[in-house]
Amino acid sequence: MKYYFKLFAVCIFLAAPLQADQGAIVVREALVYSASSSASQQVGKIAAGTRVSVFGRKGGWKEVFYEQESIVGWVRSYQIREGSFAPAVEVETESDSRGFLAGLAAFSRKASGFFRSSNSTTSSSTATIGVRGLSEAEINAARPDYDEFKKMRQYASNNVRLVEFSQSGQLRVNNVKHLTANKKQGKSIGANGVNKK
Amino acid sequence: MNGNYRYSLMLVIGLWLGGMGSTSALDFGELVDLGNKLKKIVAEVPAEEEIRIGGNLISGLLGAAPLVKDQALQQYVNDVGYWVASRSSRSDLPWTFGVIDSNGINAFAAPGGYVVITLGLYNLLQNEAQLAGVLAHEIAHVVRKHHLIALQKSMRREFLTDLTIIAVDDRKKDRKLEKLVNAGVQLYATGLDRDDELDADLRGVVLAARAGYDPFALLDVLTTIDSINPAAEELTVMLNTHPPIDDRLSRLAEQMDGELDSFASGRTNPERFRHVALNP
Repeated sequence: MKYYFKLFAVCIFLAAPLQADQGAIVVREALVYSASSSASQQVGKIAAGTRVSVFGRKGGWKEVFYEQESIVGWVRSYQIREGSFAPAVEVETESDSRGFLAGLAAFSRKASGFFRSSNSTTSSSTATIGVRGLSEAEINAARPDYDEFKKMRQYASNNVRLVEFSQSGQLRVNNVKHLTANKKQGKSIGANGVNKK
Repeated sequence: MNGNYRYSLMLVIGLWLGGMGSTSALDFGELVDLGNKLKKIVAEVPAEEEIRIGGNLISGLLGAAPLVKDQALQQYVNDVGYWVASRSSRSDLPWTFGVIDSNGINAFAAPGGYVVITLGLYNLLQNEAQLAGVLAHEIAHVVRKHHLIALQKSMRREFLTDLTIIAVDDRKKDRKLEKLVNAGVQLYATGLDRDDELDADLRGVVLAARAGYDPFALLDVLTTIDSINPAAEELTVMLNTHPPIDDRLSRLAEQMDGELDSFASGRTNPERFRHVALNP
């Protein structure tokens, strides 16, 4: 009964004019579960590249609807991407023009961007976080810029600023233990100290 | 330099120099033991020296790409980063953050509490929690001294020597420091160990959760980056030297699964994030 209710809700949802803005794409093959847990029943599988609708999120899971096969269920959140799809990295050659509207143009990698670089000659586009650095040419050309470093230090925050910042952002401090990976046994030890897997 | 630190340095330099000509004679257990000793030395590098090394390294990066000229943006990123860093075990470092004018999609950390994020990556982000997630990852590298350990590995004997000449001979020290900076900046081109990256991912999401943000936002950032197709040449370099994003995502998601769900309702603050963008 609950399942049919969801299907009904999906039909209404798809009929809504905002449909195009609510979509998501499966970026890697996803197993679909009946609940937000891999221990729940597997109800299907969705191939990478498939467009789905997203109902909501619970922890690291998102509830989706795959219209073509009428699959409703939960997939891991990292298996789908909402918003702009598969942006291609492009070398920016525009002149210095930082602009919000320009940042929203098409589905380029700047689709969600706000700021425009003033360095039109930069062409590095390595897709990493803390994985790889600037391009080799940039690094070879680099000479320490201590004036810029002094400027950077001037922007540093402090405890007085943090009070206003955390309050206006409604940020609440939580007590969370670190997760540590147990490489030898392929297990991770959770915040509660219990072995997983 | 305290006595314990000096003693440890001498011990390790001795061990290292003694072993340099006969590395093949060391068995795996000895190498692991040596590695542990070196980690211990790094752990004992005085914070003052760590901050000095990091300041020089980040100056090198700023030489490659200057800060984006936007005070509001820089202060905002500093507030987010400082707030997250205040939840770490090294909140006493002079945490300083910056957005650099590069279209590359990267973020970097340097010893002592310095973190920069490229404009290219910043523009991919959609909310404050994602920014916090990226900064938290870099903060974790600093807290765990990943760069210092990697530098020590690459510089070997010379890096250790640098640390022993503090306040002894300024000219000599400057030359050594320059060498160290060059090695450090190169490190940003080659990256850290795969395990260090995964460790920073795991630590980073917890720091974000402690700071009241949705820790799953980092997964969203990685997913976005993973959907980008970099030029084949760059992909080859990345795959040769670093864990694929896909691998990181899988491991991170698996290890977060069920552990941080109760923090998924943490703040994302997209409005404040956009407000800064709209009011440079």
